[in-house]
Amino acid sequence: MLTRLYGGHIVDPVNGVDGVGDLYFEDGRIIAPPVGRTPDVEHDVFGHVVMAGAIDIHSHIAGGGVNTARLLLPEAHRAHRPRPANTPLSTAGWSTFETGRLYAQMGYTTVIEPAVSPHHALHAHLELADIPIIDKGLLTVLGNEDFLLSAFRDGESQDSVVDYIGATLEATRAIGVKCVNAGGVDAFKQNIRHFSLDDEAPGYGLTSRQIFQKLQQAVVATKIRHPLHLHMNNLGLPGNVETALATIDASQGLPLHLAHVQFYAYGTEGKNGFSSAAAQFAEKINANKNVTVDVGQVMFADIVTISSDVMKQFNSLPGGRPKKGVIFDGDSNGLGVVPYSYRVSDFFNAVQWAAGLELFLLVDDPMQVFFTTDHPNGAPFTTYPEVLALLMSADKRAQYCARLPDDVLELTNLPALKREYSFYEIATMTRAAPRKLYGFEDRGQLGAGAVADIAVYELQTDKAAMFRNAAYVFKDGNLVVRDGKVTHYTKGRTLRVRPEYDRAIDDRLDKYYDELYGLPRALFEVQDAALPATAVFAEVPCHS
Amino acid sequence: MVETSVEAMSNATLDGKSISSEDAYEQAAKILQAANFPLVAGLGADVAGAQAAILLAERLRGAFDHLASRDSLTDLEVVRSAGIFVTTPNEARVRADLALLVGSGLTGYWPAIFERLALDKETVHGGKTKRRVIWVGPKRGEAKIEGVEVETIPATEAELPGVLAALRARVGGRPTALSAAATKKLDAAAEALKSARFGVAVWAAAGLDSLMVEMLQGMITELNGTTRFTGVPIGGRSGATGVLQTSAWMTGFPPRTGFGRGYPEHDAWRFEARRLVESGEADAALWISAYDGEPPPWEDADIPVVTLGPPGAATKRGLFIAVGKPGENYDAVEFAQETSSMVLRRAKAPAELPTVAEAIAAISARFSEDLPC
Ligand SMILES: [Zn+2]
Repeated sequence: MLTRLYGGHIVDPVNGVDGVGDLYFEDGRIIAPPVGRTPDVEHDVFGHVVMAGAIDIHSHIAGGGVNTARLLLPEAHRAHRPRPANTPLSTAGWSTFETGRLYAQMGYTTVIEPAVSPHHALHAHLELADIPIIDKGLLTVLGNEDFLLSAFRDGESQDSVVDYIGATLEATRAIGVKCVNAGGVDAFKQNIRHFSLDDEAPGYGLTSRQIFQKLQQAVVATKIRHPLHLHMNNLGLPGNVETALATIDASQGLPLHLAHVQFYAYGTEGKNGFSSAAAQFAEKINANKNVTVDVGQVMFADIVTISSDVMKQFNSLPGGRPKKGVIFDGDSNGLGVVPYSYRVSDFFNAVQWAAGLELFLLVDDPMQVFFTTDHPNGAPFTTYPEVLALLMSADKRAQYCARLPDDVLELTNLPALKREYSFYEIATMTRAAPRKLYGFEDRGQLGAGAVADIAVYELQTDKAAMFRNAAYVFKDGNLVVRDGKVTHYTKGRTLRVRPEYDRAIDDRLDKYYDELYGLPRALFEVQDAALPATAVFAEVPCHS
Repeated sequence: MVETSVEAMSNATLDGKSISSEDAYEQAAKILQAANFPLVAGLGADVAGAQAAILLAERLRGAFDHLASRDSLTDLEVVRSAGIFVTTPNEARVRADLALLVGSGLTGYWPAIFERLALDKETVHGGKTKRRVIWVGPKRGEAKIEGVEVETIPATEAELPGVLAALRARVGGRPTALSAAATKKLDAAAEALKSARFGVAVWAAAGLDSLMVEMLQGMITELNGTTRFTGVPIGGRSGATGVLQTSAWMTGFPPRTGFGRGYPEHDAWRFEARRLVESGEADAALWISAYDGEPPPWEDADIPVVTLGPPGAATKRGLFIAVGKPGENYDAVEFAQETSSMVLRRAKAPAELPTVAEAIAAISARFSEDLPC
């Protein structure tokens, strides 16, 4: 079936397109304008902005963490609305089903879950398989497990580490590697409560710096396209911008992605010893093109923090809102789930909110800064439209600023920043840049051959309203959303990488599991027979 | 082995008499579809079975509960009100230099517990040391673990809450109401807990109540003020933890959730299976107990009941459809106690029996058209 969208303003940074034009697609793919054929379906999208489906590079949507949060906070997701459509579980509050529905309605068509402990990969994949419409993928978390730390300590060859990473990506069916507080999660099990870049992981004689650098090099050597996705030390602490700057200095000129950097943009100025250091941080990012960052914007809302940085989460327990939480010392890993509420009247929260926006506005290149709230840590993903509107309007930011405590405004540069994001920059940040960051060849753009994942928004002065309810969303060429409502449920794919590696590592790992746990390693592998038939995987290519 | 009796060959019975599978599914669909508020209970099933069952409850606007919800909710109540520290049995195996075993009957709830925790072996990570094992409230003669010197703190079932409260008090340096001799013994245990490097408390919610788990977790929170201490919960029977997780991601809630108003509502009292049946609020039930054929908890249901269970578990009354045992007769995903994660169990004895999900699909396929899907 040949479909034409005509009269819309096409914004497609990958192909340098920013103007009114027609878009054709057929059999799930975008095609060049066909000569001498009449489309089977045509949509008049005059007065609309047409973009590729958006890609969320970091959102905690599936697995043990988010499921624990659901069970911890039954009050946070009271279900609502009697069934609107004859669709199973379309009314559950905070379910896998809702995740797909709500993302699709905003024009998102690919979302990456960024923190899955290898031993819990199957659980995460079961949830991902249950999320309708969108494509998805997950990052596997390495950097605190004895096997790897011992290999680094014992000076094993990079090749064997590359093989280990390959085997783990294969077993967990992941799209990349995340590292959380390198060495710090293990250190926490040994009763260490603060762990910085040059602190040593006890028993391994390696600093956090050394661990992340070796892992970063090895990830590059695997030839997977997504660089090491790093959650740095000292998240949330006053003055932690120093850690972030030092981490960038330690990045060896190699690709490195720094996660939710707003949580690291803090200085120690002012009477509370807490200030925004976003300007200094942004300057550093601008000067280091090997580094990419996502923001992790805070919005004023009740949220829950979900993090593999169990040390940080433990330290957050006393400040929980409400005061409760789950602290999980997992196999070679960790997880903490602590509820919180960001309040506009709270000095610290207001600084966090401002620091995030400063980062967005002060990093020059939208290919280098990614649009996230670290859902649900900074804000639920449902706040994206409001955040986009803030980026696009200095007036809207000023309205927010008027509500902030006075002493906050003295400790941020936000009021002075008049930059307003254009649609082209928004599309760069949410489509073109994620495409590059994960090495996607088939999405994030509207050129011929790309999957027909398309979001169409009606031009409105209220940008939040515009992005909240996409006028049309096509997934693989199927119309799935009309006027902000899902009209058709489809099943997406799970995206993974499969780098080449020497299978000899499998024997070593089998032996390691047998000796340590007395269990077959296969017990932790994600196998086809464990997943529903509807779970379809697609491979993202590696560098050649 | 050759089965000769037609009875034994049959996969379905009605009031104890063999019927064809086709008739059984037809009948089951009729019963469930005719009900105003059907109950899907037992839920002794693998993840795929639980998914099918929960979708069925939603489609019929009924409610669902698991046969061991009481145990899951015992821990969950503590999670919701105060929070919890937990680890995996394998992390305890490699790292825990002290194990505090709480309550009696642990090997009944988890037969492989001591093999998995490897308490007789040295720790591997965080330093190699012998382990210290303290058991509070074992039954007489129960506190024996091969190769392990077990210290015991005696407590009958009735005394256990008081002893746990006193132990927590002594960990925090607060006075107790116990005798000087008993307090002295607890002080020694409290000292041991405080000097553990990475201690774990092991308990089964099936043997405790929420107050006890909360006390234990309160103590663990205090211990984490100076050292590392966490917990190893032993989950409920018949796949309770896997069903709990599945229910959470599908509906946002644990079992004991109803769809009567067209959206999921969780209420541990209102949607308890036994109460729903005995009060007459549920007017038909699907009872699923695929692991071992455990019977329903209610007395004299005079509502129609459809049972899914292993072949040996045919009911004298009502409709029975045999299903395979998950992970035994068919490949199944369940939450494994030994890894504290979802795992695939390969069938050890494949059988020509439907899976729970297949049986539910066969029933659902026979609903008449007017029921939304
Ligand atoms: Zn995150």
